[in-house]
Amino acid sequence: MNSPAIRAWWLLMATFIFVTTTFRLARAVDHTTAGSAQVDYHLAGSKGFGNPASGNSDVFDGFTIEASFKMAVDVSEHLSANVKVCFGCHGLEADMAYFDLRAADEFNLRVGRFSPSFGSFNVRHDPANHKLSDKPLPYDMGRMLRKNAWNNGVLPAPFPDVGIELSGTHWFGETAQFDYAAYTVSGFRNSGANPTDLNFQESHLPYYVDNNARPAIGTRIALTFKLGAMADTTVGGSAMTGTYDHRNDLTYFIGGADLSLRVERTTIRIEYLLRRQEFDASNPALFKYDISPRQGDFFAKHGAFIELEHPLARRLDAVWRADAMFRTGNVLASSELSDGSSVLRATFGLALAVERNLRLKCSAELWQFSDPDARGRQTEISAHWGAVGTF
Amino acid sequence: MTPSTRHLRLLVTMRRAFRLTGLSAALAMGGCGSSATHSEGLEPATLPAELRADYAVFAQRCSKCHSLARPLNSGISDENYWSLYVARMRRQPGSGISQEDAGPILRFLHYYSLEQLRKNEKAVPPPATSGSSLSRAPLQIRM
Repeated sequence: MNSPAIRAWWLLMATFIFVTTTFRLARAVDHTTAGSAQVDYHLAGSKGFGNPASGNSDVFDGFTIEASFKMAVDVSEHLSANVKVCFGCHGLEADMAYFDLRAADEFNLRVGRFSPSFGSFNVRHDPANHKLSDKPLPYDMGRMLRKNAWNNGVLPAPFPDVGIELSGTHWFGETAQFDYAAYTVSGFRNSGANPTDLNFQESHLPYYVDNNARPAIGTRIALTFKLGAMADTTVGGSAMTGTYDHRNDLTYFIGGADLSLRVERTTIRIEYLLRRQEFDASNPALFKYDISPRQGDFFAKHGAFIELEHPLARRLDAVWRADAMFRTGNVLASSELSDGSSVLRATFGLALAVERNLRLKCSAELWQFSDPDARGRQTEISAHWGAVGTF
Repeated sequence: MTPSTRHLRLLVTMRRAFRLTGLSAALAMGGCGSSATHSEGLEPATLPAELRADYAVFAQRCSKCHSLARPLNSGISDENYWSLYVARMRRQPGSGISQEDAGPILRFLHYYSLEQLRKNEKAVPPPATSGSSLSRAPLQIRM
């Protein structure tokens, strides 16, 4: 009688009774559809239009596309559903497929596939919602130079996953908004024989089944203050942790803090992320440096950005961004990185609203790497030209 | 490329960046008057005077996370659904949309929906534009 199957059955029945007695279904279902598509041309300056014999594996240059289609359904005041499919670097992918069950503003249960609450960039990850073609370095997913050596950002966005999230929002009067979220999701993966880092490609592969059956957990809290009718500021902190190998031995921890200030159309955003990552040190021959007998089985990856977005004219916005990453710890023997590698980038971009549903973007980036490439270069220049349409 | 050539190129790049900075700052100061007008929204001057404050709240709050094209082109005309929609957005983390903001936002969306309907279907009479008529609009604010 006490088998896991029986307990799961009782839990399912209890959930069904709770849902059917708590939430009244609306008579009509209301839904909206939305979508976006961004085409971007990326020119990596030092590389020009040619590719080395090794191919273009270290940078996505040329044209790329990110497209998405989303449907939101408000079944009732207490039940809504979202489905979003994307087409991009990982092919066709379900970015969202979840239900929100809301008992009150302070109690919302999300079940399905979603990007768990982490950081402030998460809600703006769609190309239609940020004004540069690419993402800040800590959230970069494939557009950075030397992306393979760095294995992308600290937490490449978006990071959809399957699980449950409990969240809520509470207003203290009319000036302060408190948000919280706590979730458990499958977590990142690497099913390789000697995992040394997260495998973001594998983590995005369907079928979305965890490799180790042990969920990752995470949380976020944030406070937003209204500073008048046309200004507000948000400060937040986030953390997630889990294991990523199939033996459940290797852990990762990602923490972050963010601050944003918005006055009319001018916004300043500051964010810092840290990932502490354990790796399989059972084969020391794989690594560039000797494995330290104490605490020699992890690396730390720091990332931060500061961004200023302001209007130049009614239809024209400027974006200034400085971002950086610093990685410390052992690396694979074949890696271009050292035990203390850094990358700094300065970006200036413009976003022109041609009309309400079409925005043109262009930006120039100056890169400074601590490690020289095969030709001794540490400084690089790249540029983006993009267009994003929404409906 | 010799180190001195590399430094020279970097210097030229930095000088260009500083020039761009100056140009941008000058344009920003020149464009201060337009900072309240959102690039993908409506021109406030085309709205009835009594709705401009409501539109300002809508534009400021709803452009924090996404383009204003999303709500303006959503095609929603049903007030009940607008109410659900705004309530869902109000609950988004860090939205900054308080209960007090929901009223002006819904008032503007009510006007905007009627205006869109009027444009699409000539048979629908134009929405009332007097402040008293708008304030009496049957809006349902979801908590």
